Amino acid sequence: MQPAAPDELFKALGDPTRRALFERLVSEGEQTVRALTDHAGISQPAVSKHLGVLKSAGLVRDRPEGRQVHYSADPKGLEPLVGWMKLYGAFWLERIGRLERLLERMDE
Amino acid sequence: MSVEDRTTPSQGETLAFEFDLQHAPEKVWRALTDPELLAEWLLPCVGFRPETGAAFTFKTQPYPGWDGTVNCRVLEIDPHRKLRYAWVVGDMAIDTVVTFTLEPTATGTRLSLEQSGFKPEQKPNFGGARYGWKMMGGKLVELLAKAG
Repeated sequence: MQPAAPDELFKALGDPTRRALFERLVSEGEQTVRALTDHAGISQPAVSKHLGVLKSAGLVRDRPEGRQVHYSADPKGLEPLVGWMKLYGAFWLERIGRLERLLERMDE
Repeated sequence: MSVEDRTTPSQGETLAFEFDLQHAPEKVWRALTDPELLAEWLLPCVGFRPETGAAFTFKTQPYPGWDGTVNCRVLEIDPHRKLRYAWVVGDMAIDTVVTFTLEPTATGTRLSLEQSGFKPEQKPNFGGARYGWKMMGGKLVELLAKAG
C-alpha cells in the first residue's frame, strides 16, 4: 500500500478519539472491535468508522476472523511523518523525554 | 498581549507538539529557564537571562554539518506561562523561533512546544500546508522512535 499523505495522517491522528484508539492498539497490541468499543465508551459503529479512517491513513491493519474483526497498529504508517520528524522533530521528542525524566528528579 | 502568533506561509513551516506533564507549571518553568537545568535536558546553555532581548547560546559537541552552536535571543517571557526565543543555527541556515507555552491542568502542566520558521526547502518530504502535530502522552513518541 502507498503511504498516506502526511495531511491525511495528521487528520487521522488529530482527532482525540482516533488517537486514543490508535494509542491503545500501540500499547495493547491486536484488539477486536468489540474490545475497543468496550473501552472507548462510544458506539461500535462509531468505533468502526474511526478505525476505517485510521486504516485508510495506513495506521492500522485489520484481520477478519469469523464474525470478529481484529485490528492492530501499523508503525510503518507513521513513516511519512518520520521524514519530517527525523530532521526537526526527533530532536525535540528526545529532549522532552529528557525533560520529563529531569522533572522526576527535581525537588518541588 | 497580542495573539498574533499564527503561522503564515511567509513565516515558514511550524513543528508543534503538546505534552501533558505530571508536574506543576512553576517546576516546569524552572527547567525551562535555569541554565543548569537546561544543560541537563536540552543543551548546555551560555548567557541565558530571563529578559526580553537577552542573547544566549546553546553549545554542544560539533556534529557533522553543525558546529554545535545555537544562537538564541529571548523574544518574549511571561513567567510560568510563555517563553519564546529565536533559535538560529548558522551552518544549517535554520532561522526559527521556539515557543514554549505552559498551561496548568488538573494533573500538572500542558506544555506546548512550537518551532516555527522552517523554510519550505528544509522540508524535503512534504509540500505546502502547515502541519501541527500534537501528542498526548508518550506512546506515540516511543512508536515514532521505533518507526524511525
